[in-house]
Amino acid sequence: MRYLLLSSFLFLLGCGSVYKNLAKTPGDPSCILKFQPQFTKVLYNTQVDVVGKHLSGVLLIKKMPDSSTRMLFTNELGFKFFDFEFAADGRFKVYYIIKQMDKKAVLKTLRKDFELIMMQHLDFNAAHILKDSQNMYFSFPQAKGSYYYITDRSCSTLVRIEKSSKRKPVAIATMQNYSDGIPDSIGITHTKFNFTIGLKRLWQ
Amino acid sequence: MRKLIFLICALAPLMYLQAQYPGYKPIADPAKFKDEFGMAAKKTTTIKSDFVQEKNLGMLSEKIISRGKFWFKKDDQVRMEYNQPYQYLLIINKNNVFVKDGQKENKISTKSNKLFQQINKITVDCVQGTAFNNPDFKINVFESGQAYLIELTPVVKGIKEYFKNINVIISRKDYSVNKIEMYEQSGDNTMISFVNKELNPILPDALFAIK
Repeated sequence: MRYLLLSSFLFLLGCGSVYKNLAKTPGDPSCILKFQPQFTKVLYNTQVDVVGKHLSGVLLIKKMPDSSTRMLFTNELGFKFFDFEFAADGRFKVYYIIKQMDKKAVLKTLRKDFELIMMQHLDFNAAHILKDSQNMYFSFPQAKGSYYYITDRSCSTLVRIEKSSKRKPVAIATMQNYSDGIPDSIGITHTKFNFTIGLKRLWQ
Repeated sequence: MRKLIFLICALAPLMYLQAQYPGYKPIADPAKFKDEFGMAAKKTTTIKSDFVQEKNLGMLSEKIISRGKFWFKKDDQVRMEYNQPYQYLLIINKNNVFVKDGQKENKISTKSNKLFQQINKITVDCVQGTAFNNPDFKINVFESGQAYLIELTPVVKGIKEYFKNINVIISRKDYSVNKIEMYEQSGDNTMISFVNKELNPILPDALFAIK
């Protein structure tokens, strides 16, 4: 009986949201806009690890004259892995992707991951702010779960970004050492499966 | 009139070929070139060179330029060391490929990776002078006052889907490779230019060792 109680307790604990102990707090969610990367044109040295496969190369991110953002990933020798367009109105277009990566789940994950860090289509009217003893959590509800942009208490440093289900983060991203509005390093890690992206800015 | 149309039709392909590569015309004696190129390549046992790689992204009107060092040793041994703006090492030793990026080392057996094997073969074939014997391509040769242009058009699946054609520019002076131009079906291209070439320097085997 005791074990049953204990395991029920653990089960309930497991079901609980990691965000449930955060306290609501008033504030202006638009303060996180200063962390939105200004990808006019930038190159990143890029490492992608996906379920046991390792890809490396260069990611070019460029803002086009029509305000769309292009992301093109090639390996060091010049062979292209993918070429995506994120239109200003939120649409997504695949210009090219290698056969091995041309899978619905891979495309969806990459699209969502990049949208998370581009911070372009956040609904500030639906946003709410939470806090714990150290950080502020700027929460943006999505169709499934939420995006959390987590900063220090004064909203001056971006600590991390979490893409979450109702209960816990499914992907965690970091953007660090900004210069001219562009982060020097970006990291994205998934918690449910083995998928990480690491970007380090290159100067040509 | 009919004769004139016939003449224009007959000449059109030739004019097209000439216009395709400004300054180049189809080679007068392909057999002779093949022999001479083969002979010169036979005499070249090692090459040391710097290279500049230019990746041209047409639709984005952007280019990614990288630089590094290149070594070749007969047979089938290539080392390419990128050091600007990123670090990347590629060693081809017979059927094995070793790559090291900023974080990871990776040994690839080209036997298990068809596309890599085909691309690997181009690099080696070009510097070794055996490109003419590669059945994966249809070959056309053009010439100018300073150089030869070997146009390799892929005829086999896999590589054909990625590349429209690959051109190798050969110096008329010493038959060494000046430039490799890889044109993709997507409209993008990659140009690798070899500069500060040294032919037949002494190169230790350790350069090509895959640990």
